[in-house]
Amino acid sequence: MNRVGYELVIFGALLASCCTANQGALGGDLVNTAVNRQIDLTSQLAKFTTTITLENAGKTATTSFVLAIDPSLRDRLSFIGATTKDDDAEKLPVTQTTVPGRTTDILFRVDLPKALGAGQSTTVNVEESYTHAQTPFPAQITQAEDQLVLFKGNLHFYSPYKTQSETTTVKLASSKVESHTKTKAKVEDSSIVYGPFENVEPFSQEKLQVHYENNTPFLAVSSLVRVIEVSHWGNIAVEETYDVRHSGARLKGSFSRYDYQRQLDGRSSVKSFKTILPAAARDVYYRDEIGNISTSNLNEQDDAVELELRPRFPLFGGWKTHYYIGYNLPSYEYLYNSGDEYALQMRFVDHVYDDQVIDDITVKIILPEGSKNVDLSVPFPVDRHPDELHFTYLDTFGRPVVVAHKSNLVEQHIQDFTLRYSFQKLLLLQEPLLVVFAFYILFFTVIVYVRLDFAISKDEASESRMRMQGLLDQLQAAQDKRTSLYQRYEDAIAKFKSTKDLAGFTGSRKKIDAEHKELSSTIKELQGKLKLESTDVAEKVGELQKLDTNLKEQIGLSITLAEKVVAGKMGKQQYVDNEKVYSAKREDIMGKTETLLSTL
Amino acid sequence: MTVSGLQGKLSSTCPKTCPILPNLQKSKSKACCKRKTENKHPGCDRRPPASANTTYQDPPPKSRTIKMSTAVRGKLPWPLKMSYDKQDTLLKLFVLSIAAVLSFSTRLFSVLRFESVIHEFDPYFNYRTTWFLTEEGFYSFHNWFDDRAWYPLGRIIGGTIYPGLMVTSATLYHVLHFFNITIDIRNVCVFLAPLFSSLTTLVTYHLTKELKDVSSGLVAAAMIAAVPGYISRSVAGSYDNEGIAIFCMLLTYLLWIKAVKTGSLFWGAMCALAYFYMVSSWGGYVFLINLIPLHVLALMATGRFSHRIYVAYSAVYSLGTLLSMQISFVGFQPVQSSEHMAALGVFGLCQIHSFIDYLRAKLSKEYFEILFRTMALFVGTAVTGVGAVLMASGSILQLRCLNVSEHQPTTWSSFYCDLQMLVFMFPVGLYYCFCRLTDANIFIVIYGITSIYFAGVMVRLMLVLAPVMCILSGIGVSGILSTYMKNLDISKVQKKTKKTENYPIKNEVASVVIMMMSLFLITYTFHCTWVTSEAYSSPSIVLSARGGDGSRIIFDDFREAYYWLRHNTPEDAKVMSWWDYGYQITAMANRTILVDNNTWNNTHISRVGQAMASSEEHAYEIMRELDVNYVLVIFGGLTGYSSD
Repeated sequence: MNRVGYELVIFGALLASCCTANQGALGGDLVNTAVNRQIDLTSQLAKFTTTITLENAGKTATTSFVLAIDPSLRDRLSFIGATTKDDDAEKLPVTQTTVPGRTTDILFRVDLPKALGAGQSTTVNVEESYTHAQTPFPAQITQAEDQLVLFKGNLHFYSPYKTQSETTTVKLASSKVESHTKTKAKVEDSSIVYGPFENVEPFSQEKLQVHYENNTPFLAVSSLVRVIEVSHWGNIAVEETYDVRHSGARLKGSFSRYDYQRQLDGRSSVKSFKTILPAAARDVYYRDEIGNISTSNLNEQDDAVELELRPRFPLFGGWKTHYYIGYNLPSYEYLYNSGDEYALQMRFVDHVYDDQVIDDITVKIILPEGSKNVDLSVPFPVDRHPDELHFTYLDTFGRPVVVAHKSNLVEQHIQDFTLRYSFQKLLLLQEPLLVVFAFYILFFTVIVYVRLDFAISKDEASESRMRMQGLLDQLQAAQDKRTSLYQRYEDAIAKFKSTKDLAGFTGSRKKIDAEHKELSSTIKELQGKLKLESTDVAEKVGELQKLDTNLKEQIGLSITLAEKVVAGKMGKQQYVDNEKVYSAKREDIMGKTETLLSTL
Repeated sequence: MTVSGLQGKLSSTCPKTCPILPNLQKSKSKACCKRKTENKHPGCDRRPPASANTTYQDPPPKSRTIKMSTAVRGKLPWPLKMSYDKQDTLLKLFVLSIAAVLSFSTRLFSVLRFESVIHEFDPYFNYRTTWFLTEEGFYSFHNWFDDRAWYPLGRIIGGTIYPGLMVTSATLYHVLHFFNITIDIRNVCVFLAPLFSSLTTLVTYHLTKELKDVSSGLVAAAMIAAVPGYISRSVAGSYDNEGIAIFCMLLTYLLWIKAVKTGSLFWGAMCALAYFYMVSSWGGYVFLINLIPLHVLALMATGRFSHRIYVAYSAVYSLGTLLSMQISFVGFQPVQSSEHMAALGVFGLCQIHSFIDYLRAKLSKEYFEILFRTMALFVGTAVTGVGAVLMASGSILQLRCLNVSEHQPTTWSSFYCDLQMLVFMFPVGLYYCFCRLTDANIFIVIYGITSIYFAGVMVRLMLVLAPVMCILSGIGVSGILSTYMKNLDISKVQKKTKKTENYPIKNEVASVVIMMMSLFLITYTFHCTWVTSEAYSSPSIVLSARGGDGSRIIFDDFREAYYWLRHNTPEDAKVMSWWDYGYQITAMANRTILVDNNTWNNTHISRVGQAMASSEEHAYEIMRELDVNYVLVIFGGLTGYSSD
C-alpha cells in the first residue's frame, strides 16, 4: 500500500547488482559521537541493535547518512531497518547505495526525517538481522552433548565515519562460554561487554569471536511454498509446504530413542515448535507425503490459532523433514472490493516459529478464473516470476497464478502484500451454470434415451400397450371431469332451491349440459380409438357410457323434482322422500362406475 | 450412521414384494391408495352453502366422500400418481442406490477413524506402481525394471504383476484430471475398493435377476453391500487386486449367464472382454476359467447342451484365452499349464458334441449307430483325459505359497463371522434353485458348491465364496418372504369373505415367519457393521489404543521410521529389513530394499534371515557382503509390542 516508498528493507546479496543507480557520496563530515551496539545471540539469529548518535561536523546540512555492513557478515544479512530515537514506529527509508572507492562494501543510505544542520546531532536506532551467522563448533556432537557455537564478527562498529566512543554488548544464550575475544572485555553472567573504545577510525575492523553454548533450536526452513487460493465464494485456502532442516551441529553416532525418552539429553534437538496461524483459520491440517502427522495440537486463542507441530521424528543436527500445513480463511477479512476492482491484502510470509529463518520462499496466489490487470505490491523487493495457469474443479480456461520468490527471510518480513486485480462479478456465475448445464445435458440424454425408441425392429405388443395406457389416462381424466359435473348439478339444484331463481338455474344447467355433452363425445371418441387396441376395454367403456346415461337420467329426474317443489307443485315431505330414493340410486350408479373404472 | 442406513434399507426391501405379485397387488394397492387419500383430503369435501331459509336436508356426507374420491385422484401424492411400471422402477432404483451408497459408506470406518491412508503391505506396492504409472505412462510402466527392490537382483515389475488395478485407477485419475478434478492419486487408490464394491452391488443385482427374479436381486444386492467376507478385502485403503477382482468376476458371470441365456455372440464377446479385465486384475481368474467349463460340462451331462451354449462357450473360450495371453504375467500359461486344460478339454468336447448332434440330425439311425460306436472309443479317451486334467486342476488354488496365515484352512467361527446368516440361508437358496432348474441356475449351484469347498481349504478364498453366498441367500430370503407375504395378504382378504383356507392359522404362521426373517436380516446388518468396524477397519500402519484416562493414543512408529529414512538417508541407501516391511519401505521411504513381500527368491530371503539371526560380528560380515547401509528392525520390548 502506501508504505512502499516509506519503509524499505534491502538485502545485500540480492540487490548488490541492481542498485547501482543509487549512487551517492558518504554524506559530508559526519561523526558518530556515541555508538552503543547490542548483539543478541540468544537464538540462532544474530540480531544487532545499534544506537548511533550522529553529529554533523561539516559546514553544510545533510539529509542522509550511510550505513556499512560488516564484511565478515555481508552474506548473512537478512534485514536492515532504521528508526529515529524518539519515534519507534516511524521507520526511516533505507536504500542500498554505492560509493565510489568502496565498491566491495555493502552500503545503505538512510534518509533522515529532517535535514541535519552543521553542528547538529541526532540519534538513530538501526536494527539488523543476520541468519546462519553462528556456526556450530564442533560441527558434530553426540546425542548427549551440548551444542557449542562460534560467532565471528567485528569488535568495532563498521562505519564510514569516525566513531568517537563505542560500546558493544554481546548477549549469549547461556552463561557457559568456552572462549571469547579478550580485548577490553567484561563478562557479566550471560553477556559480554566490550569497550568503551575511543576514536575509532572509519572502516576499522578487529576480530570478535565468541565460542559458547547455544542449545536453542537451529531450525531453518530450506524452502517454503505458500499457495494462497482465493475464491470469491467466501473462502481463501492457504497451503504451505515446508522443507525443514536442523542447521546446528550434526549428530555424531546413533540416535537412541530410549535415552531420548528417559533422560533429558538431545537438548539441541527440535522436538516440536509452534506455528501461529491467523485467528480466523479453520480446517487446519498437517500432513506429509505419507499421510497425516498425528502428533500435533491446536490451541485456539482470541487473537490467533496456535498450532503446536511435532515432526514425525525429533530433528537432530543435519536431519531434514518435509511437511505441509493448510487452512481456510474467510475472505471478508482479507479481500476488499469496490465494484469490479479487488484488493487482496495478506501476509507475504507468516509466522512459522519464533526466531524463524526461511532460506527461500515462493508465494503463489491463485486468483479466480477470469481475473485481469493483476498488480502485486510487496513492502520489500521480491522476484516476480511469470504468471502461471492453474486448473482445478470446474475450470475451463484456467486461473491466473501470481508467483513471487524471495530468499533469506526472518520475522521482520512478516508484512502484508497487496494484490490488486479486476474481476467481473458476472463470471462468478460461470461455474454454477456449468454444473447446471452438465446436469441438464445428462438428464436430457436420459430423457431422449428413455422416450425415443432406438430399436431397429418394432415391438407391436408393447407399443399397443403404451398407446392403450395413454388412451386410458385420457379416459380417466375425462371421466373424472364428468363425475365432477354431477356435483355441479347438485350444487345448482341446491342453489335453485334456496334462491328460487329459475332463469339462473336454467342457464347454469344448460352450461353444465353442454360440458357434459362435450365430455361424453370425447369419451366416445376415445372408446372408438380403444376399440382398435382391445375390444374388451372398449366394451367396458361402453358400459361406462351406459351407466353415465343412467346417471344423467337420474339427475334429470331430480331436477324436475326440484322444479316441482320450487313451483310449489309438490309438498316438502314428498320431495325429501323422493329425493332420497333418487340420490340412493345415483349413489349406486356412482359406485358401479367406480368399480368399473378400477378394472380398466 | 451405517447401521441406521442398513435398517432403512431393509425396511425398504419389504414393500418390494409388490413387483413380485403385480397382478395381485395392483388392484389392491390402488384401492388402498384411494382409501388413504380420502382420509388425507377431508377438506376437499366441498359442501353446498347451507342457507338458513331452507329446510331441505343436505345429502349425507358419506356419499359425498365416495364421489369425491374420483375427483381427488388428481391430488394424489406424486409417487402414487405414476403408473405402476414407473413406481416399480423408482422403488428398484431407490433400493439399489441405497445399497450402493451403503456398500461405499460402510467401508469408510478406517478413513473416519484414522485418515485416508493405504493399508497393510501389498496395497503399498500397488499404490507405488500406480503412482509410477500415472507419472511415467503406460509404456515405461510396462517395461519397468525396479532397482529399488530385491537389491542387487532387481525385479521386472511390468511382467510380474496383474496390471488391471493400476490401469483402472490411473485411468480414473486421468479422466478426473481431464475434467480438472484435481484429486490426489492416493485418494483415488484409497477409495477405489469402496467404489468398486458399489459397482459390485449393482452387478450382483443384475446377476441374481438373471438367475431368479428382481426381488431376489434386490435382496442379494443389499446383502453383498454389507457382507463382511467381502468387506475384509475392500475397505477404503485396502488397495488390492481383490478390491476390483470381485467386481470383474461377477461381471464376467453376469455376461456369461446372459450369453448362455441368449446364445448370442455379442454377449459371448462381452463376457470374453470382462474375462480379460478379470485376468488383468487378479490371479484368481483361474477359478473362473475352470468354473465356466465345469458349468458347460454339467449342462452336457444333464442333456441341456444346445446351440446357445455352444456359441457362448466357443466365443468366450477362444476370445478370452487370446485376450488373457496379452497380459504378460499370464503369457502362454492358458495353453500350457494344467490349470487351464479343463477349459481347453471342454472346448474340444463342445466341438465333438455338436458334431455328433449334427451327424445325428443328418444320418439315419443305423449309420449313426455304427459311426457312434467307432467314435465312442476316441471320445471316451478324450473325456477321461479331461477328467484327469480336472482332477489336477482341483488343487489349483491351494498350490501357491502356503507360508502366510491367510492361506490356512478356514475355521467354522470365521465362516460365521464372515457370513453370519448367509451360512444358513445358502441351502435355502440352493433349494429354491433346484425347485426350478434352468441352465443359469445350474451355474450358480456349481459356483456355490465349488467355492464353498475352496473357502474351506483356504481362508483367503472366503472372498470368492461371499458373493455366491449372498446371491443364493438372496434367492432364499426372497423366496421365503414372497411365499409367506402372499399368505399374509390373502388371509386378510379372506377374513372379510368366507374362509376357504387349506390349512388353519395360515396368517399367524406367515406373520411369524416374516417376523423371523426380518429379525434375521436386522441381526445380519448389526453383525456386519460390528464385524466391519471391529475386525476389518484397522489400517495396521497406524495403531491406536485407549490411554488410562480414556484418551486416544496413536502409535505411528512405522511411519516415523519410514519417513526418517525418506528424508535423512542418501538417495541410494540400501535398507535391510525382514520382508514384511519391504513394500512399505519402497513406497513410503523410497529407498532400496533387499527383500519384499513378493517372496519370489527364497535364497535371498534366507540370506537376510541369516543375517538377522546371526551374532553381531557374523551378521556384520553378511551385511557388508550384501552391501547394506541401513537395517530396519522392529523392537517392541519397551512398550510390549511384538517385534522382530
